[in-house]
Amino acid sequence: MSTLTEARPTSVVAAPEPRRWAAVFALARVEARELLLQIPVLFFSLLYVGYLGWQVWTSDREGMNAFPVLQDADRATQMPPMLIAVAMLICANRAVLRSRRRGTDRHFDVLVMEPWRRTVAHALSVVPFAVAVALAVAGQFTWQALKPGAVGHGSYAELAVAPLSVLLLGVLGVLLARLIPSSFAVPLLALGGFVGTTLLTAGVGNPRWMRWLWPVASESQAEPLPSDLLGRPAAWHVLYLVGLTVLLLWLAVLAGGGRARLVKAVAVGSAALTLTGAVAQSAGDSPALREARVRASVTPEKDQTCIRHDRSTYCAFPEWTGRTEDWAGTVRRVQSLAGGAAGGTPLTVRQRVEARDYGLDQASTFDPSRTPGEVTVGTRWGGNRIPEFAVGVASVLVAGDEEAAGQLCDARTVVVMWLALGSAPDPMTSLKNVRLDDSVSGSAIVLAPTHPLSMSAQQTDVVREMLERPRYSITVKVKANWMELTSPKTSTARAAELLDVPVPQGKEEEEDECGA
Amino acid sequence: MRGVTAGAAGGRDDRHGRVARGHGSGRPTPGGAPPSQPAPGREPRPRPAPSMAGIIRALVLPVARTLPWLPLAAGGTVGLLLVGVPRLVSGETPDRIALLLLRGAGLAFGLGLAFLMDDPARHTTAGVPVRRAVRAGLRVALVAPVAVGWWTAALLLVPAEVRPPVGDMTLEAAATAVLALLAGAAAVRMRDEPEPGQAAAAALLLTGLAAPLLMPDRWTLFVQPHADRWDEVHRSWAWLLAGAALVWAACLLEPVRRRRFRAVFASRH
Repeated sequence: MSTLTEARPTSVVAAPEPRRWAAVFALARVEARELLLQIPVLFFSLLYVGYLGWQVWTSDREGMNAFPVLQDADRATQMPPMLIAVAMLICANRAVLRSRRRGTDRHFDVLVMEPWRRTVAHALSVVPFAVAVALAVAGQFTWQALKPGAVGHGSYAELAVAPLSVLLLGVLGVLLARLIPSSFAVPLLALGGFVGTTLLTAGVGNPRWMRWLWPVASESQAEPLPSDLLGRPAAWHVLYLVGLTVLLLWLAVLAGGGRARLVKAVAVGSAALTLTGAVAQSAGDSPALREARVRASVTPEKDQTCIRHDRSTYCAFPEWTGRTEDWAGTVRRVQSLAGGAAGGTPLTVRQRVEARDYGLDQASTFDPSRTPGEVTVGTRWGGNRIPEFAVGVASVLVAGDEEAAGQLCDARTVVVMWLALGSAPDPMTSLKNVRLDDSVSGSAIVLAPTHPLSMSAQQTDVVREMLERPRYSITVKVKANWMELTSPKTSTARAAELLDVPVPQGKEEEEDECGA
Repeated sequence: MRGVTAGAAGGRDDRHGRVARGHGSGRPTPGGAPPSQPAPGREPRPRPAPSMAGIIRALVLPVARTLPWLPLAAGGTVGLLLVGVPRLVSGETPDRIALLLLRGAGLAFGLGLAFLMDDPARHTTAGVPVRRAVRAGLRVALVAPVAVGWWTAALLLVPAEVRPPVGDMTLEAAATAVLALLAGAAAVRMRDEPEPGQAAAAALLLTGLAAPLLMPDRWTLFVQPHADRWDEVHRSWAWLLAGAALVWAACLLEPVRRRRFRAVFASRH
């Protein structure tokens, strides 16, 4: 009996410790539910879900969504949840201040739970939202990665940024409530911070270290790059975000009265983590990275893998080799319309990037290649990039190389446009899209992977006429008159005669414009 | 408001029946002595029904004293700092930035205005014979001169050569202010919340941050000066102002009876 009576008290004394944390988790659960029912959180969560659904269910105008580049797709998940993060900041702050607003602070003083545990519980109430955002981000990225046209590699560190930002701003709201227990401080601080940093960015010019101090570090970039040329310190940034979140949480605990030695140790440790992350992410590009960017821009053949499809060779950066089959399909389609030797000419399709301008706002254009039979292709694909590439292939087939193709001004332009668009699924729409002003009449600039081509009003009329007629009748005439049509001496009017389409008016002016 | 509360006769919690009854005659004057039994032997003297002007005159001082001046002052200060500091620091402001600053300042003052309907004594004053519209209107009337003066100061802080069109900017600021008032009034009307300021400010701030980002180009309200659509967009601002003012006025009427969704949200904070 005596052993029994002695054993009991120990079990009673040992019990409260785990149950305190159970109370923290219970409070966190209740607070999370309360947060979800706040109008801003509910509204922006629904908006985010709606945005994701809209992305999945609508087809895009550009047509490039079917061919995502995963090292860019991972970053695209970062910005949309930011509104949820800001809503978290404001609503978590309100939740902590609720007891003050309702005058129930003093009732909590009689509870066993210390104020700092309440603080931790409020911070933990943000975790379910961070987890939900993480799931949404994972879903969005997986959906992109599962597309047949996806290329490249995503980064876990980039994907972790959105949920960590939600957590960070929620904890910041809790900390601000502990530091400034006033109901109107946080909205004003948020507004002042937002406008102030916008001003600072405009004034100081947004240097790298400042850009990376934000939860989401966005860098402008025109075209997708191979992932090893990006040089984003994403892992350091995640370390910075984690360190900062823990630091803010422990500052809030300190402000809430937590004085355990462990608390102080964690605060110091997380400050060290934050500092390490912040310093490491602020370091500029390494010389090796800059060298690699120059090499990929100037001499891409050193980095590329070449694959043969039919007679032509397709050289792509390693992450894009899966796309060479798509390029080959377009080349096959264009060559099927060409007559003479052009129908069987072996081409070299070379992928090019301009990585030297990374971080600059303006997109650079590629200089045309002088190598005969070499066609340039960029890193994006789908939508308008397909007819643009077809124009590039057709102009090389007709003119010999890209340098010469830029100066076409006679009937050869008509042939180029016919080859590029004649076998397209919807030629008239492609013609409209590939022209800079989206027109189907008058003169215009025609987009191509390198330098654009120019089309006169006369040539446009002939091409439009050709595209509106049955394809087989024009194909036969083009192949039969191939030598004359591709000769620099043939005028547009003569080409129209050969192809048996109405000769356009105003030919004298056109001849003068050509000047050749 | 204390005097008003004391002056409300009856002491019944009849705030929902009060609207229909209107101001009955024979009620004690607001601000008068607490209701007491007439002294024995003396006939209770019927007092004249208080005129609206009298009520308002009696209310001005207590309402002015209990207005939430602190958030207003904080909002106004932040707004003036936003407009003024860049001028002090760099000397010149590009006009694109000046526009952003003025809009930011308007929003900051709006955040202060969102707290205008805060009245810790709301539940205790619910039984007074003075309508909510009168009380809220009085609050707005008391703040209006301050707001006008503050906005003038904010406009003057922007150098004249980069100042966006004053009338149109005033329209935007007025619409923001009315939206802020609307948020507070709507929270009071829907949720019977005594201090709706924080929720209203949160809603206004998130709307202000999200609207420029999320509004489709066709319907945007935020354009740069010298843009072709400036005038067209400011007609939309005028419509927004008018609509918000109407809804605000509608929110000032006390509901005749409790609605079900109010019962759901009433327990929330």
